[in-house]
Amino acid sequence: MKKALSLLMLLFVLFLAACGNTDGDDSGEETDSSASADTGSEEPAAEESTEPVEVVFWHAMSGPHEEAINSFADSFNEANENITVKPVNQGGYDDLEQKIMAGAKAGSLPHIAQSVTNVVPEYMNNDFLIPLNDLIEDEEVGMSEEELTDIIEVFRESSSWDGTFYSLPFSKSTRVLFYNQTLLDEHGLEVPETWDELREVAETVTGDGVVGFGFENSFESEFQGILKQLGGTYIDEESVEATFASEEGIEAMTFINDMIDEGIARTAGEDGYMSNPFGRGDVAMYIGSSAGIPHVAGAVEGDMEWTTAPIPALDGERATTFAGNDIVLFNQGEEAEQKAAWEFMKYLTSQEVTTEWAMLSGYLPVRYSAQDSDEYQTYLEENPAALAGPEQFDAGFFIARVPGGDAVRNIVLEELDYILQDMKTVEEGLTSAQDRANEALQ
Amino acid sequence: MLEKPTWKSTLRGFLYLSPALLILITFNIYPIIRSFLMSFYTDYDYFNDVVHAFGLDNFITIFQDPSFLTALKNTGVFVIGVVPISIALSLGIAVLLNNKLKLAGFFRTIYFLPFVTSVVAVAIVWSWIFHSDYGLFNYLLSWFGIDPIAWLNDPKYAMPSLIILSIWKGLGFNIIIFLAGLQSIGKQYYLAAKVDGASAWSRFTNITLPLLSPTIFFVSIISIINGFKVFDEVFALFNGRPGPANSALTVVYYIYQKFYEEWQFGLASTAAFVLFIIIFIFTIIQLIIGRRFVHYN
Repeated sequence: MKKALSLLMLLFVLFLAACGNTDGDDSGEETDSSASADTGSEEPAAEESTEPVEVVFWHAMSGPHEEAINSFADSFNEANENITVKPVNQGGYDDLEQKIMAGAKAGSLPHIAQSVTNVVPEYMNNDFLIPLNDLIEDEEVGMSEEELTDIIEVFRESSSWDGTFYSLPFSKSTRVLFYNQTLLDEHGLEVPETWDELREVAETVTGDGVVGFGFENSFESEFQGILKQLGGTYIDEESVEATFASEEGIEAMTFINDMIDEGIARTAGEDGYMSNPFGRGDVAMYIGSSAGIPHVAGAVEGDMEWTTAPIPALDGERATTFAGNDIVLFNQGEEAEQKAAWEFMKYLTSQEVTTEWAMLSGYLPVRYSAQDSDEYQTYLEENPAALAGPEQFDAGFFIARVPGGDAVRNIVLEELDYILQDMKTVEEGLTSAQDRANEALQ
Repeated sequence: MLEKPTWKSTLRGFLYLSPALLILITFNIYPIIRSFLMSFYTDYDYFNDVVHAFGLDNFITIFQDPSFLTALKNTGVFVIGVVPISIALSLGIAVLLNNKLKLAGFFRTIYFLPFVTSVVAVAIVWSWIFHSDYGLFNYLLSWFGIDPIAWLNDPKYAMPSLIILSIWKGLGFNIIIFLAGLQSIGKQYYLAAKVDGASAWSRFTNITLPLLSPTIFFVSIISIINGFKVFDEVFALFNGRPGPANSALTVVYYIYQKFYEEWQFGLASTAAFVLFIIIFIFTIIQLIIGRRFVHYN
């Protein structure tokens, strides 16, 4: 019996060993031949240490976006002899988050990863991350005051918690108003600049199989935007308290709900995203992520002319949510690896790279100097749909980033759905959402 | 033929079992025990595996969570909607296919195709079939003068859509199992019944059904367990949301939300454990009923 047991144990150990060996080197190694097209005029700072260091970078970009990331890594590797950055695609954002969760549990986190801003508090809370202040302030490898304030304010703020930086902005987007120019011209209408005008335009163009306005399924962003424009607060980050069932909240949600009830607006619903119905011409305008511009371009049928505009104002007040992904630095690596990873983070947010990344991907540049660069300005002239995003930097805000934020999101989406489906009144739905959210935030 | 168990034979037995045991223990039994324990961790650092507090709070929390109750209700409706229809339909089709039918092999392949196709691909195709403006389904209904139905947008129709998809998806597997069962029924019974002048229907109820009862029993257990575990179909059909107004939120979807979206590891384990208990109870009930109605000879 003893023998059998020890044999079993041996088998078990072998089995575990076989399992433990599989991670790491399977994907992301495809190096693009166009990689040698070095873009930076300013070479990334060379590393001092002589030991070769490998930095693993997990991201959720695929297709042309992944190629761009690979080419950034290649030119960085070329300039830094001792550092090899290995970008690894982990699937979609959800997959990436799940793999980071599993990696943290198994002790096999990468050195850096792309991460949705809202999930960063969970990473902080569970002690996965290295606060970046020491690195930023470091005389040798840090950023100068100038370099730091060159990062667009709303992104700088959304990357820091109580003055501590936990991430650097990378693939950022905002909400913009997409509109069908052809259809608006036919009715002799101008692009709406306020929510009231938007309502009127939607009312006028609705009919004949066309719905005036579309909300994405994630229309809680618009709710948050209107709430903010009215002067309300969604979640207070300091007290970690949801306060959206206020008078302002009810007004904001009533506005959205009325438009849908009257049939002059719809949600993306079964279509998943608004880009397809908009592209088919079923919807005259919609508000969605600026990251959706390439998808709209792909979905547009026929010779419909379209472009984007900034989010409508309310009583002269502008407010729009900025969202997207940051780069975070994990604490499981060796110090030399962390330093090397930091170099690459800096490189990704450098003016040259963020400019090129913005032009390749349609995400927003994260630096003012990149926004002002001739290259990017030329790009905007050629791609007028990209104009609206950077125009709104000053009106940008982001919703409170608190642990439990995703639980609140699920609750809010559910309750807002009850409101839209007329299963609850606006007041009932919001109050119930707020109560449940506050319970979840405790 | 049976030897007396000796240490040696026991050892040999374990050796033969060890490959299966190892996999079962590592990937099934150990996780079940862990998740059972985790459901009692009320304050838990999942990543460093430190438990700060134990208790029954998780159970209280989820049973007070309206979403979990919705999930339980929806899962129940799903199982009741899918299992009986799926078994009846697949049994009917299997009996037809078992007859000497031209192109029987071709039809078997056709029916089995949905089962081997990826759920995600299938759900994407069905989300087009169900589309309220452009869907095939509403087009067919329009021939009968029925107004377009917002299958995937209306909370009333989301669950029926999911049930239709799941029945269609599961048919192939059930049919194959039933076919195997039907083919193991000896021809002599039917011949004898025919000599006695029994009608096709009485042959079906008096020969086919009783002799097929072990297969029906097996299929019903598998179908009910699978029904309780539904997740992929929901995720893919409703674009990563649990249907409009949570109308297609199932228990496994709830577990997924708690674990992966909300980082509530204790609550997720509790929900998983509750699901385990429910499936366990149903299986026991079925075994008891089965003992009465299933004929193994």
